[in-house]
Amino acid sequence: MPGPSQTRNPFTEHETPAVSVAIEGLSKSFGNRVVLDQVTFSVQPGEIFVLMGPSGSGKSVLLKHVIGLEQPSGGRVQVDQYDATAEETREKVRMAIVFQAGALFNSLTVYDNLALYLREHDLASEDGIREKVGRALQILSLEGAAEKYPSELSGGMKKRVAIARALVMEPQLLLYDEPTSELDPVMSATISEIIALLKNEYHVTTLVVSHDRDLALNIADRVGILMDGRLIFLGTPADLREPKDPRVAAFLYPQIDLQNPRYKQLET
Amino acid sequence: MNNAQQTIRVGLFFLLGLALTWVTYEALSGGGFFSKNKGYSIVAGFESLKELKEGDEVRMAGVKIGVVEKTRLAGRRAEAILRIGKDFSIPRDATASIIMAGIIGTNYVGIDLGSADAPPLAPGAEIRTKVTPDINAIMTELGNLGQRLEGALGAFGNSMNGDGKNPGLFQKLDRLVTENSTKVDTTLSNLQDITTKLNRGEGTLGKLINDPALHDELVATVGEIRSAATEAKSFVADAQGILAQVKSGKGPLGTLVYDETTASDLRATVTNLRQVSDKLAKGEGTLGKLINDDGLFNTAQSTLRKADRALDGLGDSGPLTAVGIVANSLF
Amino acid sequence: MKQILSVLEGVGSTWLLLLRAASYVGTLPRQRTRFFEQCYLIGYTTLPIVAILSFFIGSVLALQAGYSMQNFGAKQFIGSLVGLSMARELGPVMVAILLAGRVGSAITAELASMKVYQEVDALVTMNIPPARILVLPRLAAVLAMVPVLAIIADLVGWFGGAIVAKYVAFISIEPEAYFTALRRFMKFKDVMNGLIKAECFGFVVTLVCCNIGLNTRGGPREIGAAVTRAVVVSLILILVLDYFVTKVLM
Repeated sequence: MPGPSQTRNPFTEHETPAVSVAIEGLSKSFGNRVVLDQVTFSVQPGEIFVLMGPSGSGKSVLLKHVIGLEQPSGGRVQVDQYDATAEETREKVRMAIVFQAGALFNSLTVYDNLALYLREHDLASEDGIREKVGRALQILSLEGAAEKYPSELSGGMKKRVAIARALVMEPQLLLYDEPTSELDPVMSATISEIIALLKNEYHVTTLVVSHDRDLALNIADRVGILMDGRLIFLGTPADLREPKDPRVAAFLYPQIDLQNPRYKQLET
Repeated sequence: MNNAQQTIRVGLFFLLGLALTWVTYEALSGGGFFSKNKGYSIVAGFESLKELKEGDEVRMAGVKIGVVEKTRLAGRRAEAILRIGKDFSIPRDATASIIMAGIIGTNYVGIDLGSADAPPLAPGAEIRTKVTPDINAIMTELGNLGQRLEGALGAFGNSMNGDGKNPGLFQKLDRLVTENSTKVDTTLSNLQDITTKLNRGEGTLGKLINDPALHDELVATVGEIRSAATEAKSFVADAQGILAQVKSGKGPLGTLVYDETTASDLRATVTNLRQVSDKLAKGEGTLGKLINDDGLFNTAQSTLRKADRALDGLGDSGPLTAVGIVANSLF
Repeated sequence: MKQILSVLEGVGSTWLLLLRAASYVGTLPRQRTRFFEQCYLIGYTTLPIVAILSFFIGSVLALQAGYSMQNFGAKQFIGSLVGLSMARELGPVMVAILLAGRVGSAITAELASMKVYQEVDALVTMNIPPARILVLPRLAAVLAMVPVLAIIADLVGWFGGAIVAKYVAFISIEPEAYFTALRRFMKFKDVMNGLIKAECFGFVVTLVCCNIGLNTRGGPREIGAAVTRAVVVSLILILVLDYFVTKVLM
């Protein structure tokens, strides 16, 4: 049995260490708008960290910093011991991200979407690629969809294909951007199970950005809550069940009060 | 469509492009049987190649036999290398000249047939050449003629019309007739008598009209114009030169065309002339003869008409037409 | 000021994109499938419209020339006029404009939508540079295909002119005379000149369209705006470049 800090690669025999993510005083502003304000936390190797927060709180922007698609205005992001903004980090650490909308290549079939990374980096022969892609599709129960184009898939299938595509990269760090948004509750639960399963099976470090409470409470090792660019909560799912901070409580367990709706409260 | 099919189409398409480029290259680089590897070249030296350029035709008695392969300066002369088709041989005594096929710059090298029994020119040999007058030389001559014509017209105008200080012939005649119209009538009969009497009295007629000098001058002027016109037969005029000057309003001819006062002067002169001749019509005597007799008036008028037409032509047609009209009216 | 900055940014990012794409030239043999696919889209499928347009441009040139020249007897030069205009100017410029409208807009739309739907981000996170697999094959395909399109445009235009010269009553010049005139005043250099121009235009149009597509920001609405901008910038660049390239090639 591999230790918890080892990512057991599902596709090759060798094992690669899971990586940690350290975010220190990260700030980001677009023009005058401050999106992230002095955010500091870290993700331990091989854990599932769920970052929650209302829409527009800067969660997805934070995720883009981790994978190096955005440059921080202040502070820094480290993946393992590398700076996330440096281009060579992507060569040293295998990171994969599952985008909110999937970001599948629309001009390629599902099979080619999954095979692209391996082909471009010449990581396997066509036979090897077929085997690896087949296994990834199998893990996510997508065998029948291999020859379909992304436009022919349902929302849930797109997400699973996106996860499969990330998996083929044999990532040490796997990021999910809103993996359960726009899905029905059953499909959301399925995706949550897949995320947990992948982590348990392969011990990949996982950072999930979501506002799905069930996902956070059920699969997270630790949870952070981001509100207006600041981290207002950092703890375990157990801490979340009875939150002390009223803002956290209001976010996680909102009351639906028809006598006193929120839009009226805002006016006063 | 599968990839292989797509690749094949792209490949064929690319080959088509290459083939078309090659065909175009062949067609435009001397082309076909006159291309570089065929035929032989000869050298033709000229004082000036004028408008000749590479790619122009070489014709023998009007038949295309080759192209101008290259033009170059060689010391104090210009040389054209002529690429001749291998089926054609040129007698050694044939002569090449640069011939203008159109007025705007199509030239070819014309080679005459030479004599039948002369040996053919060897490849690389030099062919005899001769100079033919080209459009520029003709234009220059035309320009010189134009200047003469201007001078003549100016002198003619002065003598007829006066130069400002001295009244001209017409003014004098006019005044003579108006002031003495009553006397003229009465003296006419006398005059007739006198004329018959003095008919043999050589020279008195001129004195009677009181200015023999002017008369001489007039005749001389007309003679000058005529000689200019005769001279013109050996030349062709430089229409461009005239045109430039005329258009910029320079020179007497230009003034004639563009200056209103000169034009009206000319018109007045002609009117005067007509009045005189009308008034003297009844006279049918010596005064009439002065104007009509030795063709002076006719000559003057026809010259004026010709000039007039030339000027009209210059005024509202292109340069080429103007050259034609000037030439026509002169010859 | 803001506009000037954005123009400078555009120029700079275009050059960077070119350099990036150039640095991956070595990967081209491995990308031949993509290269052929782009060749097919850029060259083969653009051929019909190029042929139709150049035919009519050649015809109209001959018609206009015949109409204007009949008054002073220079009709025999129609062939030279059509030949030179097509080869040196209209052929290349028209191919470039068609390329901007038909291929450039498609490139921008595709890349902009890839950018907007995060496909480009996905490529970046996979450590596959977009310049390598999205830009380079297109640039290479354009370089290979544009001369072919341009030479076809030239020839079709010439023949269009020849047909008009023969069959329009007030011109009535036999094809032999037409092509003799065409050949008399033309050298292959003129055609070559046109091909080089077309090559420059095609390359710049493709590069600019790629760059504008890849720099699209915002939502799907921006895709349309990016396409419009790409085509406008391409057309301006074609005509501005036209002057300078012509000057340099003289």
